Order: sequence, then C-alpha cells, then structure tokens
Amino acid sequence: MLATFVNVLFDGLLMGGIYALIAIGFSLQYGVARVLNISHGEFIMLGAFMTWWFFTRFFLNPLASLLITAPTIFIIGFFLYKTLFTSLRKTSGAGFEASSLLLSFGLVFIIQNLAIILWGRDIRGYTFMASPVRILGAIFAFNRVLALVLSVCLGILFYMFLARSRTGKAIRAAAQDPSVAELMGVNMRNVLSLCFGLGILMASIAGCLVSMMYEITPVMGLEYTIISMIVVVLGGLGSIPGCFLSGFILGLVGSIVNYTQPGLSLAVYYFLFVAILLIRPSGLFGR
Amino acid sequence: MLEVRGVNVSYGKIQALWDVSIEVPEGQIVGIFGANGAGKTTLLNVISGLMRPLSGEVWFMGRKIHTLETHRIVRLGISHIPEGGRLFEEMTIRENLEMGSYAPSAWRRRQESLREVYQIFPKLKEREDQLAKTLSGGERQMLAIARGLMSRPRLLMCDEPSFGLAPLVIIEFFRIIKSLKERGLTVLLVEQNIARALEIVDRAYLIENARIVFHSSSSDFLQNEYVRKAYLGY
Repeated sequence: MLATFVNVLFDGLLMGGIYALIAIGFSLQYGVARVLNISHGEFIMLGAFMTWWFFTRFFLNPLASLLITAPTIFIIGFFLYKTLFTSLRKTSGAGFEASSLLLSFGLVFIIQNLAIILWGRDIRGYTFMASPVRILGAIFAFNRVLALVLSVCLGILFYMFLARSRTGKAIRAAAQDPSVAELMGVNMRNVLSLCFGLGILMASIAGCLVSMMYEITPVMGLEYTIISMIVVVLGGLGSIPGCFLSGFILGLVGSIVNYTQPGLSLAVYYFLFVAILLIRPSGLFGR
Repeated sequence: MLEVRGVNVSYGKIQALWDVSIEVPEGQIVGIFGANGAGKTTLLNVISGLMRPLSGEVWFMGRKIHTLETHRIVRLGISHIPEGGRLFEEMTIRENLEMGSYAPSAWRRRQESLREVYQIFPKLKEREDQLAKTLSGGERQMLAIARGLMSRPRLLMCDEPSFGLAPLVIIEFFRIIKSLKERGLTVLLVEQNIARALEIVDRAYLIENARIVFHSSSSDFLQNEYVRKAYLGY
C-alpha cells in the first residue's frame, strides 16, 4: 500500500517537474514577449530528438549533450524572435498577439516536418541510467529521480535569475510596463528575444529529460503545448512560482488519474482547464 | 542643450503636434504648460524616442536624436519621468531604483547614486524592501523622481509631477526640483499647475491644440494678458 502511494506520488512529482519546466518557458514567452507559442511543444520534441540522436549516433551522455542542445536551441529561439517576430511586431501593431499566434502555428508545421525528414516518423527511444532505485519500498528507474531533481533545480535557478540578476530584473520590468522599461534604458528588442529564447531553452531541456524516460515521436509536441497552456492558466498568467506549483499540482492529478483510470489524464486536464477558466479565470495563484 | 525644431506628430489622422519648436538651455528649468490633451506628453515622448515625429528634428548636446531608439537616448543622458510615475508595482522600491540605473555606465555607479537619492528622499530608504504598490501618492511620485535620477541624467524631463498631490507636498516637490537645478541638472517640466511652476522655471512655453502659442521668460509669462486670463484667472 505504501509502495503504491509512493509510486503514484513520485510519478506525479516527476511529471509535475517537467510540466513546471515547460510551463515556465511558455509563460515567459507569453507574459513578456507576448507570443502565445503554439510551437512550444515542437521545441520539446526537438530537444528530445537531438538528445536521442546524439546518444544513439555518438553515444553522447544525454546530460552532456544538453551542453550542445540547449545553447543551440536558445540561439535559434533568440534569432527567430529577433527576425520574424520583431518585424511582425512592427507591421501588426496592436494585432501582434493574434498574428504571433498564427506565426507560431506555422512554425509547428515547419519544425515537425523538418524532424520527420531528418529522423523519420518512427517512435524512438533509448535506455539510459535505468538502473532501479528503491525509495520507501517503491522501485524507480534512476533516470526518473534524476529528472525530478534536475527540473526542480532548474526551476529554482531560473527563479533566482529573475529575482536577483540585472537582466532578470529587466525581464520583470518589461513584463510589467514595456515602455517604461525602455525609458530606463532597456533594449526591449533584445530582452524580448532573450525571453523567447529562454522559453524555448526550457522546452528543450524538458525534452531532453522526457527522452530519457519515454518514447518520442516527431508529433509529440502538441500534447505538451496544451499542457503548458493548462498549467499557465492554472497558475495564473505571468506568475513563475504559480507556474511551478501548478505544474506539480497537475502532475499529481495526472498520476492519480493514471493510477485509477489509465489514459484518462488528458481528459481530466481539459476538465480542470475549463473549470479554472469558469470559476477562477485569474488562476490559483494569480493576482 | 536640447533643441526641438519644427516637429510634427500624428496619431493616425489626429495631429498631436504642429510645427513645435522649443529650446532648453543647459542649467535651466524650462516649463511646458497647457491643458489636458494639448500635446505636452506627446512632446516628451518624441524627445525620449517613444514616438517618432513625421517631420522635424530633435537635437541633444550637438547630436540628432530623433532617429535613435529610446534606450540609446537614455544613455546619452536624458531621463524621462512619465506621467503618473508608472512605477514597477510588483517590484520593491530598491528594485525600482536599480532599474533606473539599468544603462551600463549608470549601473556601475548605482551604489553611489542610491546613496545620493536616499539623501534627497530619506523616506524611500526606510521602505526600500516594500513593493512599490504599497506606497502613498506622494511617496510614489518621490520614487518616480528618484528612479529618474538613478540614470545620472544631464536632462530630467518631468511629466506633471504635481498631479494629484496635496498643496504642501507640491511645494516640497518644486523645492526639490529647484535644488536639482542647483546641482547642475537641466530640467524640462511639464505642468498644469502654472502658478506654482512659474515660481521655479526660468522660461516657459504654452501649448494649445498641438501648437506652441506663446513662450517667454517666466517673469514675462505673468505679464501676458491672455495667459493671465485663460490660465491664471485674473
């Protein structure tokens, strides 16, 4: 009984950590850069596939390959925003949120098809650090414990970055009042590109963690995009601690549902999503 | 120091400034007076680069600045304190001040600037860890001005610092602005409270319906019959 409980709890925390990570990235893109990034999940997929590719082709440790994958994806994100989204911002003015959503929707097809061309349509997977670990009578693969620890550390690290660093403060200021942030001397174009890049960076790290534990496909992204959206709405737009907590809440809910009714978790997520929008649209931790 | 030459600005089909020219000499306080919607804030936005003029030029310290981006203009030494303060509500007072010195050259000297600003506004030091949204109206305006000083500007542009404040607080603010001039700062002051502002400005411009209709030294300003009747009521 205890082992089952620990199992469900741990599964929930694990999923929660990954949900939190992807939702923080998603929230950064929407809250600051004003892009409702439908292609967020595609970058999770990219992160996962790049990790898999490095591992199967070059026997590169997934954690080591992060040192290549994460900066590459960050740079892609930074320049995607700096080129495409910045010029869209100029031409679309007040309609930017709608047009940027459409643009990111277009990116979904481009990235997905690129992945299919590069890696094919097959379901992929690999085994890495899967040796069993016993915690309170329940047995887990070591990579899951690692993923949980890493996602919590990353979340905390990112929070500290926002709270303490000069750039982190500029990001928060830009989220609250972009034109006044400019009056303080903040180069908004760079800060927005940075936020978009960082958001995608979080996605790619989550993708790396996912690939260690689950099978991956080129079309896995959309589900994660939807989950990020649900977590962000649950936590309250623009609140990083809110994202973090609600990521874990959703993860736990998912694992409990999965234990009793496998396969129903996504349906329960949608239900929660609609319920939150109806009852408390500002989110659990929103202002 | 600052020169605006024949600037035209429009919001869509509405012209917000018609051929506006002003000059702000170094070391002076220059007032821009006028009613709501006359174009005062638009003029400041053009100078700080938040808006682009359709035509005309803005020169600062011998450089054309109307084609530069806002963050570049800040680094040249212009600090624009927007109307209503526009604080970063979810940040502490100290963080608001730190944002004021975001530009690299100011960032290196932020500890020094903090000390100076806390000397002018000791109340802010007492509350440095509180969120900006917890401050009262007068304190908010204090923080807005202090944040504007953190970039160590040469030219300070204040947009209605007296708006919504009690008369005694207004007197205090104008005394502080005057003392900033004595420290060598040049000030461009946008105001509706003309009577009070005339006590500290060296020269003033009057904007009506997007045009400069009158300008003179502050002593001559009071002599003008139209100004007295329309704005001072006597």
